[in-house]
Formats: sequence, structure tokens, C-alpha cells
Amino acid sequence: MTGPHPLDEMADGNGGVKPHWRGLLSSMFSLGHEVLAQRARLLDETFAEEGITAILPGERAVNWRCDPIPLPLSAAEFNALETGLAQRAALLELILADLYGPRTLLTDGRIPVDIVYPNQDFLRACCDLTGTRRDRYLFFYAADLLRGGDGIWRVLADRTDEAQGIAYALENRRILGRVVPELFRNQRVHQFRPFMDIIGESLQALLPGDSAAVALLSAGHADPMWFEHVLLARELSISLVESGDLTLRNGQVYLKTLRGLQRIGVLLRRKSGRLIDSLELAPGIGVPGLMEAIRGGALRIINDPGSAVVEAPGLAAFLPQLARHLLGEDLLVPSQATLWLGEQAMVRTVLRDLEGWVIRPATEGDAVPVVPMQLPAEERERLAARIAARPTEYAASVAPHPSVAPCAGPSGLEPRPVALRMFLAFDGQRWRAFPGGLARALSEEDGLAGRLPRNAVSKDVWVLADDSDAVEGALGLFTPTLAIRRTSGDLPSRVADNFYWLGRYLERLEEGARLLRAMIARVLRPSPTAREMAEMHVLMASLSSVGMADPEENGAVGVGMLASGVLRAFRANGRMRLLLDSVAGQVDQLRDRLTGELYSVLTRSLRDMTDAMRRLPADTDPRALERAAMLTTEILEFSATVAGLAAENMVRGGGRLFLDFGRRTERAQAIATELAEVLDQPQAATQPGRVEAALRLALELRDSVITYRARYLAVLQPAPALDLILADDGNPRGLAFQLSALRLLLHQIVEEGDPLVRAIDPMLQETSDIVQDVMQSPDQMATTARLPPRLRQLSQSISEVADQVSRRYFTLLPIAHSLGLENEEFRGAA
Amino acid sequence: MRYRVRHISRYGYGTPVDLAAHMVHLRPRPRSFQSVVSEKLVTSPMAARRRDGVDYFGNPVTWLFLDQPHADFEVTAESVVDVEFPTPPPSGETLPWEDVAQAARLPVAWQEAEFRFGTPMAPLNDSTRDFARPSFAPGRPVLEALVDLTSRIFKEFRFKAGVTSISTPVSQVMHRREGVCQDFTHVMISALRGLGLPARYTSGYIRTRPPPGQPRRQGADQSHAWVGAWLGPAHGWVDLDPTNGVVVKDEHVLLGWGRDYSDVSPVRGVILGGGGDHWLSVSVDLEPEPVG
Repeated sequence: MTGPHPLDEMADGNGGVKPHWRGLLSSMFSLGHEVLAQRARLLDETFAEEGITAILPGERAVNWRCDPIPLPLSAAEFNALETGLAQRAALLELILADLYGPRTLLTDGRIPVDIVYPNQDFLRACCDLTGTRRDRYLFFYAADLLRGGDGIWRVLADRTDEAQGIAYALENRRILGRVVPELFRNQRVHQFRPFMDIIGESLQALLPGDSAAVALLSAGHADPMWFEHVLLARELSISLVESGDLTLRNGQVYLKTLRGLQRIGVLLRRKSGRLIDSLELAPGIGVPGLMEAIRGGALRIINDPGSAVVEAPGLAAFLPQLARHLLGEDLLVPSQATLWLGEQAMVRTVLRDLEGWVIRPATEGDAVPVVPMQLPAEERERLAARIAARPTEYAASVAPHPSVAPCAGPSGLEPRPVALRMFLAFDGQRWRAFPGGLARALSEEDGLAGRLPRNAVSKDVWVLADDSDAVEGALGLFTPTLAIRRTSGDLPSRVADNFYWLGRYLERLEEGARLLRAMIARVLRPSPTAREMAEMHVLMASLSSVGMADPEENGAVGVGMLASGVLRAFRANGRMRLLLDSVAGQVDQLRDRLTGELYSVLTRSLRDMTDAMRRLPADTDPRALERAAMLTTEILEFSATVAGLAAENMVRGGGRLFLDFGRRTERAQAIATELAEVLDQPQAATQPGRVEAALRLALELRDSVITYRARYLAVLQPAPALDLILADDGNPRGLAFQLSALRLLLHQIVEEGDPLVRAIDPMLQETSDIVQDVMQSPDQMATTARLPPRLRQLSQSISEVADQVSRRYFTLLPIAHSLGLENEEFRGAA
Repeated sequence: MRYRVRHISRYGYGTPVDLAAHMVHLRPRPRSFQSVVSEKLVTSPMAARRRDGVDYFGNPVTWLFLDQPHADFEVTAESVVDVEFPTPPPSGETLPWEDVAQAARLPVAWQEAEFRFGTPMAPLNDSTRDFARPSFAPGRPVLEALVDLTSRIFKEFRFKAGVTSISTPVSQVMHRREGVCQDFTHVMISALRGLGLPARYTSGYIRTRPPPGQPRRQGADQSHAWVGAWLGPAHGWVDLDPTNGVVVKDEHVLLGWGRDYSDVSPVRGVILGGGGDHWLSVSVDLEPEPVG
């Protein structure tokens, strides 16, 4: 991409260094190359740990790194860019108001209809048909800039849809300040906090009334930009919501929370405008009726859903004339020279020298430019043929030669081409630029502009203060934002649901580890006794009842086959692996609700455990089982750590309540089912030895062997054993303990007067009834052998209560189905 | 002609639905050649919120929001209209079709231009364009060519209900040469756009005649669709019905138009909760009424 003479950001053109680089360079040199390289590695690790990259590899392939060397901008340079980009934002606002209003720019041919009508982002539902709209379209704007050999910054892409990336800029600064604090010494670098406060205040000012709130609308944790959504929502102290959390009642928009509906007046939109209303726009995901709520004045969406239409690359060709027509001014920050290929002469010009251009679809703002110079000859020809066939669908920009800036490389500093994204926000009166930005060090594969890539090396952007500038706060240090403490009532229902499932998955993981550990211990014995073989079969049955093993494997006779059955749980698509993924999925969705410490512990452990599972030797390798045994221990430790941290209140708001509720529910059910499974053996009623063996195993699985021995020495009798497992509410591994905990949690979760509060009482009664029945039976063994149906009933009752609570208090809004536009048969007249 | 139209759509849901939102294009669009004498739209259960408005293309549209659980939903639209589509100019006097395509690219035709671009249900497609070619000999007056294409689709495509759905692409209809009015309309629109001519999707009703000697069956009529084609700046739009091979005159009632079916689908909705296996039954009656 670099041309013959790319401009060097550092050089002043006379063999010297630009003044605003000097301070930075001297700090860098005093650190030395080795230290810098080591800090670069540390930065990578920190980014991975903070979860900017995906929790589990391959899950959501976003891999951003931060180069330790920032890109400084002088005060004069920044001010010029701010003024120029503010002018562009103002121009785009006027264009939007015209395209969605009177459309004079189409009637007089100043914008070709080809850039508007076939543009997927021209949302007809956004048109102001009555001419009464006064609201702005744009509040956020970003521009992708490259600096050419002539020293002029030019815009290659205008970003008006979501203007993504500001959170990455915040994160770069925060982490750079922590990892390489030396760089910031004696530097007057503008801070970000005041700008973020302005955004927050401007959004609040748009609210129609006191009772409504601002929320950030995300496409959810599968969105590659999820990290940004989480961080931005936290920075601005607003709720992070998805379409499924929102509902319309009487023309107003509401967020479903634990305590009912909370009105939403402003949505900071972080998903495509095309997907926000499943009634009027694309069917599928979206809140049906959102467009009507906007028209009725009940809701503002920032930026307007239709605002992406002016991102069209082809529009750049007309911006200079439009600036003169609409503003009476020339563009202060020009576009990279661009042609819309609507005329034959232009098509010929471009095709004659395709390598001198970069090509984009004329109407697709998100598109990453295709660089013909980098294409093999035959692909270039195919591109030329496509352009020749439908020229009006393409825009060509003069191939840029981006300036270079120093980056930390393996063997010292190396110059790499840079692209700069700058962000602007409208504060109610004027456009202001974020005093920083997101710079990317480009390699051949990196897109020059458009949608942000999933892999990138980014740079912190410094805006240096002029002597006349007041720089607020301590220089170079980023004050961490205090977390907002939310009361559980305001917790969105989805978040409560996520916590509940996180609890359940964690517990399933733990139960699985417990069963597998017991199994592996036996398989590892050199020559298992007949009793151990029998126990293995019982364990195998328990494992298959929780999906940890294939029921058919229980027919297996050899120890080797049982071992393979156990190891399968850790292999790809094995139950333990899937559970780790499920835990990671919930953690990812909850990251705005977990403290940083808890989040790091969770993500680090999840990664380590997944790694360990991946590295598990083959079944034939004798070390495989020992490794698997170590894994079960690690999982149990992980589980204990999470429980401990959660109890230390490291979960924001009411989250812990739901996490606990999920864990206790899962554990209570597991105890009852597992005991039923263990006792459920052929001929148990007539062979007391089997019942005894089963109870011994049950005590082991509940980690209660030592407690039992302490109380009753070695004599194993059904009633005392069952008491310990089922009815003793002092045994933290027993059922009664879980049930009592559930009862307490219900008191906190459900509303007063709800009969659900007492739903646990009959179950507690049943646990002591079971023990009493066995105790008073003349044949304790036989009575015990008949317990499985009662135990399964108990488990069923627990599950029913959990379902009722979740349905009443924290399930999501009902699932939506589209009518009339999905696969319906055409019924037409002849 | 004066017609009375009754269009009933009934949704039944396997389990009750908690919330529902509907957007319906069921009220006839008033035009110089079509006056709406009376109209009413009622639903059962009654909507908690209703708004009558106009969509981007100027068609009447109604939004309906229901927020009480309901197991079925019925929309009844009734209207009385006087309609007589304008007689098109003598086809020999219309512009050569290439000139119309050229005119459609000029800024003066900025509104008509909207209908010359492909859309998801009526995309630009080589097979539809190639099918149309024989009707569009160089220099042929546009209306002559359009009427020829209309009657070719009528003759060469078989009307067959139940073989196509909303997701059937025009290329498949083109290939199998069968479908219903919506399909033939999309095929013709796709073909015309491929030639650079603006063409729009028109939604409405058509009068049907029972077989000789039999009475008209109640509710047996259907929604209908046909093509609006642009003849150039002087003559404007003409309505052509490829399903019946005719120029639209006085047996059609207009609801509205758009780029394709999805812009003017008579009923569109989203239901939340419940639903299960839902079904839709439609009953349409279009009956001539004596005037006065």
C-alpha cells in the first residue's frame, strides 16, 4: 500500500523531528528497545486478559492489539481536523434532512438517484412525509482518515451509522497508561473524560421526560463489537439492552426489568438501522413498532436509523459541490478523490489504470475498499469485468499512499502505514471532536476504511495541549469510572436470566467434575474389585443420566472402554467442553455486570481449562486419565473460587441473588436425581449389599464420607446416611441445605404475598419424611431401594418452582414471529 | 364501475398470543380515476392502539397494536369505490422504448426512477430480461411492446396456485412458467427493469365471473396484483395485468403500489408469545354495485 514516498508522521521534512514528537521520542529512547518490546508483549497479555479479545478462541474472532507507541497530534493539527470534520458532519446532516425530506438534491440532480434508491440503508420508513420533523439525524460521526505524501489528511470513509470504535480508543488509553506510564510523564495529553461526560449529558438532554431513561441498543453478545457496547454502556452509565428486552405499550417503548416496565426515551443505537423494527423494516430481529414510536415522538434513536445512507462511498464524489451548494463553503478536510462510475468516460479512466484506484460498491458504506494493486492479475481482470458490466454500482477513489508512523516491531522500531479514525459528537449546539482517536497500523491485508476489522494493531492517539489549553485533571492518567450500583429491581430481566443460567451451568460443571473424578479414581486402580466394577457401572449410569457419557457405553465390560467413555466428556463436543462454552457465553453476556477481578478470574480459568482439555493425550496414552483427574480437580477448585468471589459481592446489583438461585436449584436437583440413580439397581430390594454399596457411593459423591464416619464410625446404615444426604440442613453438600438456601433466596426475589415464597416448605418436609419412613421401617434396606420414584418426584418439584420463578420474575419477553412475510403461500386471483 | 369490496383476514394461533403488531395495506388508494365512496376497517379483538396513515409511496396504511392475550385475530376491510382506469394513449403514439429507458435516467424522472432498480422480490435477472427481449424490438413504441409482453406472459405461463410462496425467486417462476398473479407481476417487473424501464408492483382486486349458469361463491375472490409501467414523461403510467393478459380498465380495484410485494403486502405483522402453529384464512368479495 505504501507508495514511493510515504510521508513520515515523525519527520518535519527538513531532516528533523516534529516538535510534538520530541517528548514522546525521548521517553521512548530512555526506555530502550528491549523494555519497549517487553511492554508490547505485556500490552498484548493485558488486552487478552481484559477480554477485548474473545473469551474462548474462535468464539468471536476479534483480536485487537495495541502498539505501545502512540500517534501524537499537535494542538493545531487537531483543531484543524476538528473544524473540518465538524463541517463535514454538518454537511451530512443537511444531506440526510434533504434525502428523508423534500429530496431537492435528487430533483435537481445534485445527487444521482443511483446512490440513494438502491441503497439498502435508504430506509423509506424514515422519510418525513408530513414535513414536520425537526429532530436531527446525526449525533455521532466518525471519519476514516489517511494522510497523503502532501501532508493533507483526507477522509476515505464517513461513518454515520454507528461510528464504531470509540471504546477501543478509551481502552487503549487506559491500558497504555497502566502498562507504559513512563510515556505520559511530562506530556500534556488531553483526557477523554470531559468528552464522555458531554456525550452522556447530551443524551440525557434528549429525553422527553423525567421518567424515561437512555439505553444502548446492541445486537447482543454475538456482535463483533460487543466489547465496545459493554464498555460504552458502562462509561455512560446507561442500560445495555437488546431488541428482545424492549416492548411497546400504547406507543411507548419499555425495557422489561425485574420490577416491571421501565420507560425508554432515547436509544443509543449500536446495531444496524435496517434491523431495528421487525414490523416495518427487515423481518426477524427487531422491536415491532419502533418506527411508529419514533413518529409518535415517544422515542429518539441516536443516530437516526436511516443515517447510514450518507456513508455511501459514491456520495464522496459529490460532496465538494454539495458543500458549496448547501453551506456555501469548500470542504476543509477533503475526501480522498473519488469518482462515481455513472458515466462512461469515468469508467474508461478507471479501467485504463485500475491499479491507481481503490474500488468500493457505490452504496455500501460498510464496505472495505478493494485494492486492485494488491490483487493477482486474473482477479483484477474479473473485477474490471464486473465494473464494466454494472459501472453505476461502483465508486473508485484514488489509491492512497498513507503516511507511516513508528511501531514497536520484534527488532526495534519499524515504520508502518497508519489510518486514523476520529470521532465527533454533537453537544446540542455544535460538533466536538473526541480529543484522541483510533489509529491502526496497516498491513497489506488490513482494510483502509469502512467496517472495523476483527484483527488489528491499534494505536492510542494523543492530542497534545497547547500552552493556552487547560488540561483537566492529572495529566496522562485515566481515572477509572466508578461502577454504578444498581438495585436488583432495575436489573433487566435478561440479565437476571443470564445470572440464573450462569449459576446453573457452573453447578453442572461442578457436578460433572465430581462424578468424573469418582469414576476416574476407580478406572485408575490397577485391578478393580468386583465391587468397584459394580460401582463403575452405577457411576456410568449416573454420568449418562446427566449427558456426560453415552448410555450404550455402560454395556462396556472392559476398563479400557469405560476410560474412553470418560475421556470423551473432555474432547471436542464432549459434555464438559460444551459446559465450559456455555459458562463462557453467559460470562461474556454479563461482563458489564461483573467486577473486573471476577471477570478476569473467570476468563483466565475458562481459557486455561479449555486449553488443558485440548491438550489431553489420546485415549491410548496412559497419562490421559491422570491428566483428566487433574482437570476434575481444577474444575472443582474453579467452582469453589467462583462461589467464594460471588459471595464476596463481586457481582454488581442483584446479580448474586440469581446466580445463587441457579446454583442451588441445580445442585438440589442433582442431589435428588443422583441418589435416585445410584439406588435404582436391579434386585436392590432383595440384595441389601447393593443398597449399602449405593449409599456408600452416594456419600462419596456428596463429599460426606468423612462427616458420616465422624458421626457414625464405619457402620453404614440407610437412615443415618440418608439423613446426612437429604434431611440434615447443616450439611452444606446435602439437599436440605440447598432447599433452605432456596427458601431464603425466594424471600428476596419474589414479591411479598406471592405464594411461591412457601413453595419450598413441602419439599423440606418430604426430605425429613423420607428419612423418618426409612428409620421406622422394619427393613431399612428394602424401603431405601424403593425411594427412587419419590426422589425423582422431589427433583421434579424443584424444577417446577424454578420454572415458575423464572417465568414470573425474569424470563425474557415472549418470542416474536413474523406474519405475512415469511414463506407464506401466495394467494392470488386469476 | 362501482364495486363493493370486503376483505377478511383471520389469524388463528395454536396458543394465545400476548402482544401483536400489524401493518396493513387494506384501504383503497384514492386517485383521480378511483374515488373511495366509503371505507371502514374493523378488527376483532379491537386494537389497543390504531393509527391510519400514509406510507412512503403514498398508499393508505393502518398500524394496529394489540396488547391483550388473544387466540385469534380478524381484520375486516370494507369499501365502496367508483373506478375507471384511464384509457392509455394509442400505442403507436408512445415513445420508442429505448427513449423511455433513457428518459428514466434524467433528473426530471427522479420519482419514476425509483422503480427501475432491482429489489429483493423483483431483482434484475438475465432470464426474465431475455424472455422480454422478443417483445422489445429496437425502436418499437413502448406501449406496443408492453402489451405484447403482457399477453405473452398470459399465454406462456400457467396459472397454478399452491406452487409458489413469498420466497420463490422470479428465476424459478421463469423457469417453471407457473405461479399466481404475484409471481407473474414480479416476473414482468423484473424483465422491464432489466431493460431499464421503471415498473411497479400494484396491489388490489379483480372482478371474477362464476362459470356460466353458476352463482358467485361468497368469499371466493382473492387479492390481485398487476404491473404499473412507465410510458415516459408525456404519458405517465399504464396498468397492465399479465395474469389476464389485459390492459387494466374497469374490472380492477386499486389498493396501492410499491417496488414489489413486500412494500404493499396486504397484511404484515409480528406476534409475541404463544403462536404455535398459526394459520391464516382470507376471504375476499368484490361485487359490482348499482350506482345511485
